[in-house]
Amino acid sequence: MPTKSNRPFDHTFWLCLVAAAAWAVPGGGHFLIGQRRHAYVFFAAIVFTFLIGLYIGSIGIVDPVGAKPWYLAQILTSPVIGWIGQIAQKGDYPVYGRPQDYGQIYTALAGLMNLLCILNAVYRAYSGIGETIGQEEEHG
Amino acid sequence: MAEGFPMLLAGFFAPVEIGTTPLSLLWMFPLLLSIAVVYKATRLRVLFWKQFVLEVLVLFLTLSGFMILAGMVLNLLVWLITS
Repeated sequence: MPTKSNRPFDHTFWLCLVAAAAWAVPGGGHFLIGQRRHAYVFFAAIVFTFLIGLYIGSIGIVDPVGAKPWYLAQILTSPVIGWIGQIAQKGDYPVYGRPQDYGQIYTALAGLMNLLCILNAVYRAYSGIGETIGQEEEHG
Repeated sequence: MAEGFPMLLAGFFAPVEIGTTPLSLLWMFPLLLSIAVVYKATRLRVLFWKQFVLEVLVLFLTLSGFMILAGMVLNLLVWLITS
């Protein structure tokens, strides 16, 4: 893992890279800074939450047109959600009642939890937490 | 087993039936568990599995207890207002 001193690129670029990785794959930012256990936990928890929501409400709950506020929270989970939204727009997937509410709550919360993980990963990368305890963590 | 996977996949294309019964409130517990897991993981600088599981369990029980209490208080309020 590159540390501040031997990193071949600028620190700001590194922070942006961590944020992008954390958004692309839940837990990706923590994986990049060497906090592997955190990464596995975040990935499992966020993907599990999102999939439960999708299972409850069907993929029709990812609606970039009819349910924009929910979609804004859902897309924070990963850019892949944009692709799911495209599929949902093309097909005619039934969405109604309580399953829709529950599904939207689950998927939107998965996105908001990933936002927390993105901020946490960037903060850890900024303060060098992953660098100082990353090795120690591997043996813990 | 062979039928299980397509059935599971098909589940993503049609909503699950959730009735308007008190049992439907049980759906909040998986969500509370994920919130507890993610929140605790962000709080711990170093993640030791045993300590982590214990802390998640405590937070999950606290959140669940609070939600049940909030539900009871709201039900009581509605009962007082409507009776």
